[in-house]
Formats: sequence, C-alpha cells, structure tokens
Amino acid sequence: MKTFARKPRPVEAIATLDKNAKVDNYRASPGLHAGAWRAVLPPLLAVVLAFAVTSLPITISGKNPLLAYWALLKGALGSVDAIAFALNKSTPYVLAGVGVAICFRSRVINIGSEGQIAIGGVAASWMALSFSYLPSLILIVAALFASAVAGAAWAGIAAIIRLKRGVHEVLGTLMLNFIGTLFVSEVLHGPMGEVGAGFPQSPLFAQAAWLPSLFPGTNLHAGIAVAFIAVVLCHVLLWHTPFGFRLRLLGSSHTAAAYAGVSFARAVLEVMLMAGALAGIAGGIEVLGVHYRLIQGFSQGFGFNAVAIALLAGLNPIAVLPAGLFFGFLEAGALAMQREIGVPSSLVFVIQGLTMVFVLCAMGIGLKQQRV
Amino acid sequence: MLEMRGICKRYGSVRANHNIDLTVPQGQILGLLGENGSGKTTLMKVLFGMVRAEAGTVSFKGKQLIGHSPRDAIAAGIGMIHQQFMLVDAMTVAENVMLGWARAGSWLRTREMAELIRSASATYRLELEPNAVVDELPFGHRQRVEIVKAILRGADLLILDEPTSNLSPPEVAGLLGVMRRLREEGRSVIFISHKLGEVLDICDEVVVLRDGEVAGSCSVDGATRAQLARMMIGRDIRHAPRLAKLAPGPDLMSVEGVSIRDRSGFERLRDVTFTLREGEILAVAGVNGNGQEELVEVLAGLKIPMHGRITLGGRDITADGVTARLLAGLAYIPVDRVNTSLVPGMSIEDNLGLRDFERSPLCRGPWLDRAAFRKQAMLRIAEFGIHCGGPDVPAQTLSGGNQQKIVVAREISRRPRVLIAFQPTLGLDPGATQFVIDQILALRDAGGAVLYISSELEEVLILGDCIGVIYDGRLSGVVKRDEADMTKIGLLMAGIQEATA
Amino acid sequence: MDTTVLIELLTASVRIATPLLFAALGGVLSENAGTFAVGLEGMMLMGAFGGAVTTFVTKNVAAGLLASAICGAALGVVVAVATARFRADQMVTGLAVNILAFGLTSFLLRGLFGGRAPVIVLSTLRPLAVPFLSRLPVLGEVLFRQPALTYAAFILVIPIHFFLLKTRAGLTLRAVGENPAAAFSVGTDPIRVRMVAIIAGGAFAGLGGAVLSLQEIGTFTDGMTNGRGFIALAAIIVGRWMPFRVMLGCLLFGAASAVALNIQGWGLPVSSYIIQMTPYLIALAVLSGVGRSARMPASIGKPFTRS
Repeated sequence: MKTFARKPRPVEAIATLDKNAKVDNYRASPGLHAGAWRAVLPPLLAVVLAFAVTSLPITISGKNPLLAYWALLKGALGSVDAIAFALNKSTPYVLAGVGVAICFRSRVINIGSEGQIAIGGVAASWMALSFSYLPSLILIVAALFASAVAGAAWAGIAAIIRLKRGVHEVLGTLMLNFIGTLFVSEVLHGPMGEVGAGFPQSPLFAQAAWLPSLFPGTNLHAGIAVAFIAVVLCHVLLWHTPFGFRLRLLGSSHTAAAYAGVSFARAVLEVMLMAGALAGIAGGIEVLGVHYRLIQGFSQGFGFNAVAIALLAGLNPIAVLPAGLFFGFLEAGALAMQREIGVPSSLVFVIQGLTMVFVLCAMGIGLKQQRV
Repeated sequence: MLEMRGICKRYGSVRANHNIDLTVPQGQILGLLGENGSGKTTLMKVLFGMVRAEAGTVSFKGKQLIGHSPRDAIAAGIGMIHQQFMLVDAMTVAENVMLGWARAGSWLRTREMAELIRSASATYRLELEPNAVVDELPFGHRQRVEIVKAILRGADLLILDEPTSNLSPPEVAGLLGVMRRLREEGRSVIFISHKLGEVLDICDEVVVLRDGEVAGSCSVDGATRAQLARMMIGRDIRHAPRLAKLAPGPDLMSVEGVSIRDRSGFERLRDVTFTLREGEILAVAGVNGNGQEELVEVLAGLKIPMHGRITLGGRDITADGVTARLLAGLAYIPVDRVNTSLVPGMSIEDNLGLRDFERSPLCRGPWLDRAAFRKQAMLRIAEFGIHCGGPDVPAQTLSGGNQQKIVVAREISRRPRVLIAFQPTLGLDPGATQFVIDQILALRDAGGAVLYISSELEEVLILGDCIGVIYDGRLSGVVKRDEADMTKIGLLMAGIQEATA
Repeated sequence: MDTTVLIELLTASVRIATPLLFAALGGVLSENAGTFAVGLEGMMLMGAFGGAVTTFVTKNVAAGLLASAICGAALGVVVAVATARFRADQMVTGLAVNILAFGLTSFLLRGLFGGRAPVIVLSTLRPLAVPFLSRLPVLGEVLFRQPALTYAAFILVIPIHFFLLKTRAGLTLRAVGENPAAAFSVGTDPIRVRMVAIIAGGAFAGLGGAVLSLQEIGTFTDGMTNGRGFIALAAIIVGRWMPFRVMLGCLLFGAASAVALNIQGWGLPVSSYIIQMTPYLIALAVLSGVGRSARMPASIGKPFTRS
C-alpha cells in the first residue's frame, strides 16, 4: 500500500506503481502548504503598501499617520464591544464577497451586490412585518429564505439580459443597483414606511424577528455564523462538486467549457443566482440583526466592497473570510479613528481602493498565481 | 548586403540561437531551412529587432544594427512578412498599409495611398483592392497586403516566414513569381520554410538550422532533398513501413449533405457527405481555412448545421449536444491545446477528467470522487508515458508533446467508436508526432473509425486508408489509398476539379 | 404637448448631457485604444472635486477647469500604469479607482480644510446666447442659449471625430485597440499609446466632473457624480465607439433624465422614486436593444505583452 505526499514524484516511481494501489492522504483542494506563502504574500504586501501610501494624504491634512493608524487599531480591536461591532460589520462583506468571488472565478463580473442586498433586505423586512406572530426561529429562517430568493431573482434579471441580449453583466448589475436602492426608498415611502418618523424607515420589527446574539451580553449577532457556513459551503462546492468544476472550466476558457459540454448559459445563471442569494441573505441579516428595521441607504457601498474583498482573497472562498474580516475591522476602526483623531472615515475607501489596485497589479504581472 | 555573426539568444534554459552566422548578398534568395524549434523564427526576430540577442552583430548595407526596434529595421530597408499576419482585421487594406508609415502623412492621404497600392498591385501582379476590409479577404490576399506593405516601404531585404503554409499550389506559384521579380530588381529575400521542394525550386543558397545552430549551408545547384533533409534532422530519414491493415468493417458514422454558414452569412460547408467505417481512417487534406474547423465543430456538436444529417451507429445525432455525442462514443481531439482541449491552469488529473467529470466513476452523487480522479490519472500517466511532476501539477508546466499526450490519453482511453482528430500533431516534435500517430493507428486496429484532418499532406498520405480533399467547404475526391494520385490531390487542394470529358 | 414645455425639456436634455458627453468622449479615446473605461465615474468625481475646490480657493473658474482636467488625468495615470504597464484587469481596476476617488475626494474635502468640509457655494455658469443663432425659433433656445462648457463639449466632438478617423495618430490609436501586435510590428509602442489615451480620457472626464460642480450644481458633495460615469459608458456602447453616435447616445440619456426630473412637476400618480429609476431603466432597455450587434474594439480588455 503506497501513500502519497504532496511533493511531486519522478516519473519512474509513478510508472512502477501497483495499479490497484489505494490512495491515501490525498488533498484535492489547495490547502496549507509551502506554496500557500506565495499566495498570501502579495495581498499582505498590497495592504501594507496601501497603508503606506495613504499616510500621504493623512499628512497633507495635517495629522500624524501613526497616531491615526493606532486609533484605527484600537477602534477595531480595543474592546469586546469593538470586536463584536467589527464582526457584525464583516458579516455582509463575507457573504457578498464569497458570492462575488465565485462569480469572478467563472469570469462573470457581478458588481450588483448592493442591489441584491437591498432587495433581500426588503424581502426579509416584509416577512418580519407581515408574520410577526410566528415563533422566532421559524420567522427568522423564513425571512432569510425570502431574502435569499429575492436576491437571487434580482441577480437573475441581470443574468438573463446578459444571456438573451448580450448586455454585459457589469452594466446590467450596476443599473440594477441603482434601481434596487431606489426601490427601497419607494417602499419606505409607501407600504412599509413608518408614519411620522423623521427618516425613511420601516416600523421596528417585533422582537421575534431579531437575530439572536451569539454571546449574551454582546451585540454580536448570529449572522457571522451564517457567513462562516456560507464560506465553507462555497469552498466545498467549488472544489468537490461537478457544479464547481463547471465554474472553474468556464472561468479558464469558454472554448474549453464548450468542448467539455458545459452549457454557458446554465452555468452563468447558476452562479449569478447563487451570488444573488448570498447577497440577499446579507441584506436580510442587516435588517434583522443590525437595524431591526428597513432603513434607507442600508445597502450603500456593499457592491464594490464585495468586489474588493473577493479580489483580496484571490477569488478563493476560504480566504474571503479573513479578507472580509479585514474590511469589517477596517471600517469599524475608521469610525473610531474619526471620533478620536478627527481623520475622516472616508479614508477607509482610499485604503480599500489602493489595496485593490496593488493586488490587481500583482495579479497582472503574474506574481499571484491562481489555481484553477 | 546582410551579415549576421555569432548570434546567440536564450529563452530561459533553452538555447534558441547559438553562434549563428548568416550572409545574404544583394539580389539573392536565401532559403532558411529547419524543423519546428530549430531557431529560424528567433533568428529573424533578432534581425528585425523584435527580440534582442545576447551576443553577436548584425550589419545591413554596411551599417551596424544594434539594439534596434522594428521601426529602425523598416527604416533601414528590412521588411518582414510574419507567419501570423500583423494586420488589423477591422480596417481596410489602405488603412493597414498606412499604419505606422510616415509617408502617409499626419493627415491621412488615403487617395494617394490607394493609387500607390494599385500600381504596386499591377507591377507585381498581386491583385488588391485598397478599400476592401481585411476581415473579408481570403488568406492569400491578406498575405499580399503584407507584401505590398513591405515593398512600398522600400524593403531591400524581405523576410518571408513560412509563407506557403496556407496557400494552394497555384497561389504558391504566384508567390514564387513575386520573389523572382524582387530578385530581378536587385532586392534580396530570406525564405524560411520546412518544405524542401519549394526551397530547391526558388532559392539560390540554403542555410540549414538544427537545434539552434547552423547545421550546414550550401548552394542549391546540385543539392538533393535527401542531403538537405539529413542536415535538417541530423540522421537519415527512414520511412516507417505501413502496417498491414484488416479489411474495414461496417459503416459506423455517416454525414449527409451538411452545410453551415458563419455569422456573416458566408457558406463555410457545402453539402458535405462521407461515411466512416469501423477500422478505417479517413484522412482529409486541405489548406487551412477551407472549412475544416467548421466541419470538426459540427461533428463534435459545437455547432449546428443548417442542413444535413449525421448518424452514428444508426442513430440520428444531428441535434445532439456535446455530451450526448460523447456518450454515443464520439471522441474529439481539437487543434487548439491551449484554449480548448486543455485547461492549462488545472491539474493534470482534472484535465484527464475534463470530459467525464459529471459521470461515474469520477462523480458519485453530488460529489466529485477525488480518489477516482487520482487513480485514473496515475493509470494514464503510466500507460501513456506522460512526463510530468505528478498528477496534481498544472498542465501548463508540461511540454507541448506531453500536453497532447494528456489529450490523446483522455480521448482514446474511453475506447471511442469514432475519433475526430484535427491536426493533432501541430507544433509537436517528431517523437511526440510519432506517438500520436501510433495511438491513432492502434485505435483503428482495435476497430475504431477515425476522421483525420490535417494540412500536412505527408501525414494524410501516411495515415489515410481513404483520402479526401476539402476545398472551399466541399469534400471531394474521396478515394482509397491505392487509387490516390498526388497530382490530382494537389489540384483538388487548389480547387481545380477535373473537367468531365 | 405645449411647445414651451417641449423646448424646456430639450434644453434641459442638452444641458444634462454635457457632463456625460465630456466623460464619454474621454472614454471613447480610452476604449478605442483598447482599455475599458470603467473608471470614468472616479475620474469625473476627481474633476468635480478639483474644479470646485480650486475655484472656491482661487475664485477663478479657468483655474478650476484646469485643475479638474489635471485631477481627472491624475486618476487616469493610476489606471494607465496599472492596466497598461502591470497588466491589471481593466474592468476591476476601473472599479477600484472609483472607490479610491470616492474616498480621496471625500477625505480631502474635509482634510484640506482642517477636518470639516467647508461650505462651498459657487455661482453656476450662466447661459451664453450665441449672437445671431440664438434667435432661431426652437433650435435657438435649445442649442444656442447654453452655458459655455456645453458649447465646448459639443464642439469637442468634431476634432475627436477627425482625430480618430482622419489622422495617422488616430489610426495608430485604433490599431492599438484592435490588434496591438500589428501596431507593434510597424514600430508603435502599444503600451505608451494606451497610457496616453487613458490619461487624456481622464482629463476629459475630469472636465465632465467640473461641468457638474461648476456649471450644474455649484458645489461639491460626496459622490456627486452618482453613476453618471457609468451612463457615459452605456452611451459609448450605444454609440458604437464613434464620437458622433456617442454624442447622440448622451443626448438620449440626457433626455431621459430631463423627462424624469420634469415629470415630477406634472402631478402624475407615479412615485418620484420610480421616476428616478427611469434613466437607468432606459439605459438597460437601450443596451438590450443594441445588444450583440455592437462591435467593440477587438483587443479591448486584453493586456499587451511583448513576446
């Protein structure tokens, strides 16, 4: 009985193998091994470089970058409450990001997370408001399910106009972002709005609809667990199912996919629906776990952040978790930094944008190998 | 006029050019012979300035060319006609000629250009319409655009890189005529080819490259094919004896009246009809671009024909998709390894499972059985002698020959009833080519039917039990091997049907 | 329909189309040279910011316009280096610089002024009547009583058209977008051409942003471009990458926005948010109609490497 290490073996040894040998210790998906450092280093460097370059505008504005970054760090990790806040913030990023990562892997450029989150939130809110008499667990599951379906449908629209009319998904999902956000405002000024409130929002949901907190006494809601499960699920789907194989084929070459009998239309639709569902759930989690109501503008900015996170993670589902956490902690810290030092929190976008550009450059010149 | 001395160029660990000397006097046609990978194209890229050599000198018309770019080479009077044309398909002939040419003026002088093109057309008998869009021109005409471009820019030395690969015999004759005309005018030509006959026909001197070095040079007078071939390959060519073959079996796959148009409405296949029999190879010759690509795509299920019927084993599969045909016993080796038959970024075992990953044993229920992938890969690597670093390395780390072994291993191991092979030996060295041919013969001997399409007439003649020619979307002249007539085949390839008495 | 209402709508269409047109013309240069102009949104925003802040500080509109072009071009430099030199993915780089621009402008608005955004109130550019032509019946109102930058934008279409189709430099640029290897073989440096096209495009897009902050609205607010850069992209596709047709595309989207804005005053029983959706819905509808027949420059999206 022979065992296989991960190191490549010379041809001679392979040729003399017993053809009925049992295969042990085999790992199908890229795990942690020597090559992993080469995968992780470029994004790390990109982040460091982004922070370094961003210190320039901070200095121009008259503040000390080191103090600013220290406040950032404290704001993100300084207390249990801070960490809980950051984890909550990371949840929709991870969910939307992993969906986008799968899309990008199949060369489907889906930037519609914002619209999908918005529509998902509307669906979850509707469920929460209409069925508040249901027991909590059933209500929450049903609401999240509704948000998944709604988000999937919204992404599906973009997929269909891509397949039927050749409208590139970048433009399609983008337009749907705007339409989705406007739709939220529309329902808040109509059927779901709270009369008499100074701000467009829905009535507060009944307690039964609130996401339970993971650790009593903290604000950390159960959403992060959902995100974690989603990441693992996507990883397994990508590397261990025919569905994932099809997506990887599609992502490397359309002609190879056609040659292998993979239906382009079916795969694009499948992957968009999945990404839309994940983003929809993120929207549902936001309204059920953070705001406890539908509120105007709750989905803002998620679309492009999801893209940034997917890129930083090298389009690898497992890596989306740390990447999403990074973004979440970054934003949580930035708010604290603004409070303490007076450096505007919009700096966060500068760091994100620069990180993306650097990672893209590294990928472009082949520093960051992508395993298909 | 041209003197290159001691040219050295490496690509990584490969010595593409090593200490090469080359001299071309004025008014001479020099033939540069060599197999794939012998260094001919690299040498010309060095001459033309597209690539920088590590050592060596180039002097042209008495002046040294150091660190020059293509622009400098053109200005000095060197013109290059690449194997893959450097033309902008969406633009007209005139626009392509004007591109990057100072004489066209900052504000384009289109009318003047059109005149120049027309007069050059007439002088060299290279008919060209200046306002035609390049995309709509046939292959031979596109080459003319390249030649006119070079001549108009005053090239004294013209480099032609494998110019006749995709030309029919009459077009080849036309090209050779142009070269003679250039020689008469006192210009020189470097004619790169692997076709001995043409080289002996037109060249004055021949230089043979092998493995990046000069293997020999001689004058054409008195040189024979055998001599030159020996210099190219380094050993005597021995023609492999044809294996005796059994009588072919019953009809297996029939194609009737298949026609297809492309996106612009141009008919690419016209009424193609033929039959494949068990244990028989139908080899189809033809210059590239005459419908071969469309034919294999229709057969593989990637394109739907407008008219016609395809049956396999008695069942009509015309409307079947790729997967259905796969299950019916059809295998397909495409010409393009990089984008189609392989995924370079995927591991070898994934590539081996490319066609069957949705079925058992590679797929069990909703999951991929990774152990089954691994097992299959190990088997194939051993059986077919694929030289690699392990089943989980990406396919792109393999050499071209080993990559093709993966494709062949995958398609043939399924014991298909019918194999469609489209130029499966393209870009392979002689060893790998022999391997592919052996596998295909083995499949035939085991009872499979094979459709073998290639632009290399030599291969078609070696492999085919039945031989046909495809020209302009029509398949004609399907004859048994013993009845094949070289002249007739050559004429058919140029589209010349025999007139009925 | 009342003629005055029609004239108002048409006038508004032309005016609203102006920033789109500047940005779209910049994108035409970039895309014809082979680079997706997804970063137009960010370049416009940079220009809007640069123009507004410079005019606010220097009280000089001309300085503001210059600054807007420079700011847009600066973002163009980032895109150019990343995509042409480092072969980064063009679409995603565009998205990245959009995020970067949003953050940078928002940050600097506060950071440059001691931590709190100043109240910028600029007098918007007034319409200038062209002496003789503005007295024409309908067209006079619509076409010849527009602010200066609108004239500039529409006039700009002509030199760009001639540049692309009638000059050798324009031919080279288009060749780089179709087949950079071919351009390289005749001595052009495709990377340099692409970079110049992107940066020039950024300058024009920056001017488009200045139209927003200096001519239309009179101030700068975070993210004020609000998707116009992407509408400009849609206009490029609708106009099949050629300047005059792109101009028509911009007018179309300008008209859609004008109708959306004005309809609210007509008291129709349609919610204002639905109305605000109309430009985007129209964009989708038009793009679906154009669909596959649009033939984009063949090498767009593919980085060029010397082999």
